[in-house]
Amino acid sequence: MKVEFWGQEFKVNMFVGCTGGFLIAVLSSMFGFGGGPFMVPLMTVALRLPMYVVVGSSLLAIFFNTSISTMRHYQFGNFDLIFFLAMFPAAILGGYIAPQIAKRVSPTIVKRIACVGLVLLALNLLGIY
Amino acid sequence: MQKRMWILPWFFAVAALLLGTHTEAADQPKVAAPAGEAVVVPTIAIDKTELSNGGVIKITGKAPAGKPVYLEVWADEHDVRSSRFDADPDKDTGKRPYLFYITGEMPAYYKIFVPKEMKKVLDEEKKQGNKWSYSKLLKDLGADVAYNEPAKIQIDRHQSSLMASIIGSRGPLLEAMDEKQTRSRSMQLIKARFRSIGNVLAPEIDIQPDGTYSATIKVRDGVAPGKYKIVAVVDKKVKSETLTFENKISFPTMYLDNAGTSMNLVWPFLLTLAVAIFGVLMGAGGGFIMNPLLLALFPALPHTVVAGTVTPTVLFSQGSGIFNYSKINFISWKLGCGIGVAMLFGGFIGPKLTEMITLDQFKFAFGWILLILAALMFWQTTPKYLAGNKKEQAILKEFKKRAEESAKSK
Repeated sequence: MKVEFWGQEFKVNMFVGCTGGFLIAVLSSMFGFGGGPFMVPLMTVALRLPMYVVVGSSLLAIFFNTSISTMRHYQFGNFDLIFFLAMFPAAILGGYIAPQIAKRVSPTIVKRIACVGLVLLALNLLGIY
Repeated sequence: MQKRMWILPWFFAVAALLLGTHTEAADQPKVAAPAGEAVVVPTIAIDKTELSNGGVIKITGKAPAGKPVYLEVWADEHDVRSSRFDADPDKDTGKRPYLFYITGEMPAYYKIFVPKEMKKVLDEEKKQGNKWSYSKLLKDLGADVAYNEPAKIQIDRHQSSLMASIIGSRGPLLEAMDEKQTRSRSMQLIKARFRSIGNVLAPEIDIQPDGTYSATIKVRDGVAPGKYKIVAVVDKKVKSETLTFENKISFPTMYLDNAGTSMNLVWPFLLTLAVAIFGVLMGAGGGFIMNPLLLALFPALPHTVVAGTVTPTVLFSQGSGIFNYSKINFISWKLGCGIGVAMLFGGFIGPKLTEMITLDQFKFAFGWILLILAALMFWQTTPKYLAGNKKEQAILKEFKKRAEESAKSK
């Protein structure tokens, strides 16, 4: 498939994109996360698209997945309104505060901290400690 | 039986006497008959009728001497869901049944208190780890006589199949189970819901030789508010009257109806705030960190509810992101929608799989996902990647600037 973006044309292997997208969608909706950190590498590395094409479009693709999985979770009675109301305002507020801090910290350092944090969380989930 | 026969002549004699004056009164001796069977109805008393987000309650009473007493306690006002996917091979045929059991009528709190001497049996079963069996424990403890309230819940049974899973369905609903099946399946659902032995059984009852008993039971915090029922059971038919006490909670602790637990809402609020900020800074959605953190910090929350409630929270931040990008026309709709359609199918299937798996499987899989993510993150901080990324970011900025300018000029 050919995609045009700001005057440039890119060839996209939709088979790889859709298969990868599908798998990421199953996992992310199953475990309740967004899927962005997997989607962006898929599109940049496997589909060889430049970052500036990916940032917006990956978000759009994920949005499809998140909206339908929200519906399905609701249908299965997994959605708790009060719990949601406790988290939702905090998420919005965080979205406003974060850009103010973002200018002052290096994303590389944040990512390294996140790395350690994620490994610790993973080990916790796997029951190692 | 023998005793009742012995009563019969007396019954007729009394009936004959009364017949002349009062016809309806002839029924009365029948009601009184069980008392003649030397059945002593256990008594029960509680020291308070109100708790504030859990607490300690003292129970005293008298039961027939020499017999174990069990206390059955359950939340009367709030029900929760429980489900279990049965894929264990059948003992005889070796076939996997792939049956999905689900109920929405599980009491939000259910616990049977047993005599203190039975602590050994409980400890022995605790060594089994996650493989403990509720039905076996009840039998070993003799406590199955006290297992009454959840034994009659409505359980739906679905025949799952790979095909049904692919189209995201639970599979066709099978006919209702009989009483006995419902009883034994409900025990498995109790385990699926409350998970650990300590949540459903506790050795707390002191029994004196003369039959008086006392127990100090601790209702844990975070359980459902509202009315609770308590009954002392000695035998299948011998039980005390049912007493009621109430558990009260007050804001900011609130009851989460679908999660079946009450919680101080300040904590999830602060947690989400921190995670959301960190998520934006590291450039990944907060869902990755939010889910495992919630599971680790609030073990009372079912993983299905965690996944199902974090997802919509993520949805809105994505929506606002798309809106911002679309304002400057920075989205390839063709590409996004193309892959989006494939993701639509994935998102349709995923949530069904969430309820099929147990918490342990959920944790295991999520653990590996996080390790992969950590590896990805690490790769993004390697010097080689950073050098390449610098160029990319520069181009990204350049294009974004152009996009913003053209959006303004319009």
